[in-house]
Amino acid sequence: MSSRQPRILICGNLVWAHEEAKQLFNGLADIVVMDSPNRPDFLAGLKTGGKYDGIVGIYRHNTSADRIGVFDKEIIDALAETGTVKWIAHNGAGYDQIDVFRCAEKGINVSNTPGAVDDATATTALYLVISCLRNYAWAEQSLRQGTFKSVLNPGRAHDVTGRTLGILGLGGIGLRLAHLVHAFPMRVIYHSRNKSANAPEWCKYVDSVEELCRESDVLSLHVPLRDETVHLVGENEIRAMKKGSVIVNTARGKVIDEEAMIRALADGHLSSVGLDVYPNEPLVNPRLLEFPQNVLLPHMGTENQDSQRHMEVRALTNLRDFLRNGQGNDLVPELRSRL
Amino acid sequence: MLPRVLLCGEIEYVQDELKKMFHGIAEIVHLVSESRSHFLSSFGPGGPYEGTVALYRRNACSEAIGKFDAPLIYALADTTMVRWIAQSGGGYDEIDVQACKEKGILVSNTPGANEDATATATLYLMLSCLRHFSMAERSLRSGTWKIPYNAAQTHDITGRTLGILGLGGIGQRFAHLAHAFPMRIIYFSRRKAESVPDWCEYVSSIEELCRQADILSLHVPLNQSTAGMIGEKEIRTLQRGSVLLNTSRGRIVDQEAMIRALEDGHLSSVGLDVYPDEPRVDPRLLTFPQCTLLPHIGGESAEAWRTRELQALGNLRAFVLGGVGEDIVPELKIAIGSSTTLY
Repeated sequence: MSSRQPRILICGNLVWAHEEAKQLFNGLADIVVMDSPNRPDFLAGLKTGGKYDGIVGIYRHNTSADRIGVFDKEIIDALAETGTVKWIAHNGAGYDQIDVFRCAEKGINVSNTPGAVDDATATTALYLVISCLRNYAWAEQSLRQGTFKSVLNPGRAHDVTGRTLGILGLGGIGLRLAHLVHAFPMRVIYHSRNKSANAPEWCKYVDSVEELCRESDVLSLHVPLRDETVHLVGENEIRAMKKGSVIVNTARGKVIDEEAMIRALADGHLSSVGLDVYPNEPLVNPRLLEFPQNVLLPHMGTENQDSQRHMEVRALTNLRDFLRNGQGNDLVPELRSRL
Repeated sequence: MLPRVLLCGEIEYVQDELKKMFHGIAEIVHLVSESRSHFLSSFGPGGPYEGTVALYRRNACSEAIGKFDAPLIYALADTTMVRWIAQSGGGYDEIDVQACKEKGILVSNTPGANEDATATATLYLMLSCLRHFSMAERSLRSGTWKIPYNAAQTHDITGRTLGILGLGGIGQRFAHLAHAFPMRIIYFSRRKAESVPDWCEYVSSIEELCRQADILSLHVPLNQSTAGMIGEKEIRTLQRGSVLLNTSRGRIVDQEAMIRALEDGHLSSVGLDVYPDEPRVDPRLLTFPQCTLLPHIGGESAEAWRTRELQALGNLRAFVLGGVGEDIVPELKIAIGSSTTLY
């Protein structure tokens, strides 16, 4: 290995794509694995002569936050300080753990892995839609508690076919979910900041969140977490929904006002919620567990080996392309305007 | 006096329609018996079921009067005027149709009424088994977040091969839902189905189906030729790590062979809505956390119940009005000389 090769830092261990990583960077860069137990150690390592000195790009996974925290202003500033780090290849569709605006100011580019997660996350949302409408998770609890189906009321369970699914945010995941439920078919409507050019003709645009809520039997959230999407679905939106509606959230917990959602569950305005994400993971508000009809997954959105390998390779490929061509494909929208 | 029809199991979703459908045609009587002997002795003069010519039947009535086995059918045929049993539901394995055939009692079911609901349940079980969703939810509810969930044991649905045994209404509906991903879909039925989409590939034996499928899903009715149809040999023909789904009837599968395959990891998980001895569930099944176990609610939704009740009552009404109802079960179509039978 040549010591003159650039170095890249794996920040949040690879689980699946070790072989692919070797092949991608063979002859291009040396791979260094971030082994800092805490933030001070990480920051010290970035300094001249430190163990991460000379890093030009970083592969990042959210698991690294357990040790060094999120990529906030402090970390971004330290990366900028090195003068060498120019690319953060984040593994995941959501990059709310990276201060991308600070990155923009400091001249560091950020890529994510759009598309790689669409199928797995949309499948998770489909599971939640079915389970909420049909009370399947509740049914399985009943069986496992030894009461078979005696606590269930089939009058509460509804067919998926023919109901209206409202999709908030018709990006890759939302579009993929639309496609999967169209097989039943469900009636699919959506609202996004912009009308989507990719939307099929059976996927109807409505021009406000409120209108979306008013028409939906099931509301499914597919917007990234940003300042302007925090509590995007709050008391007003939930009460605009019909009584007995369902909310499914596979995006980020903070997109919903959890207190308003729990109030609506308590008074029956919402018949159930299907959640894969929570405001303070891995903490789950214990009041959510009091409703047996809720379906509560522990942030499984993309967790399966096929998708995870795919995502690791996609993130690493962005980093490889940056090294080879100066730019990776999946630059996040906030940074695209700079180029 | 109007003929009477007896509801063996209550109508829950279409009570208004019930009144309209039989107004001026038949008198509705309700099951009041709490034992089989009371039931069979109540059709005589002065009895609560006197004058009954047809029965509406739900499986729930077995709790009071038992299954419609041969002795019950013989007694009905020999001592009452009942000549039609309108079963509410697709499955009619709780009725001894051979005894009905001998004695000239016809049986209708409600094919199609719960196809969508049951295919949806099967889709749910498939998603849950491949992705370990139900296991993950139990982990969250028990306070351990996603431990012991392991992504290495889970898979995307897209691109896997789904093997469907029995391409009737439910099997076709499930194929259609799974095709959205898409999955590769193969099937085996007693005969090659007609008007099947070209992406749905016929294989010529159960063995071949098992050899190719990542997920095997069962959609055959329970009868003498299908009981134990999936046994040790078929399960071991599946690839190691395959998934077995059953939303048809528990006895189609040799449960002991299935549990052995779960124990040694040949089957990675099973998704079940049906069991050989419901409502009993073999406690060993509960020891495999990756399995998804529903309490026979595949066909249960408000919409499916409504459709099923209307369809069963429609069959009953047609019999009372014209002597022959719709939806006679295949085994009995021969009995009335129908050429529409598939057998």
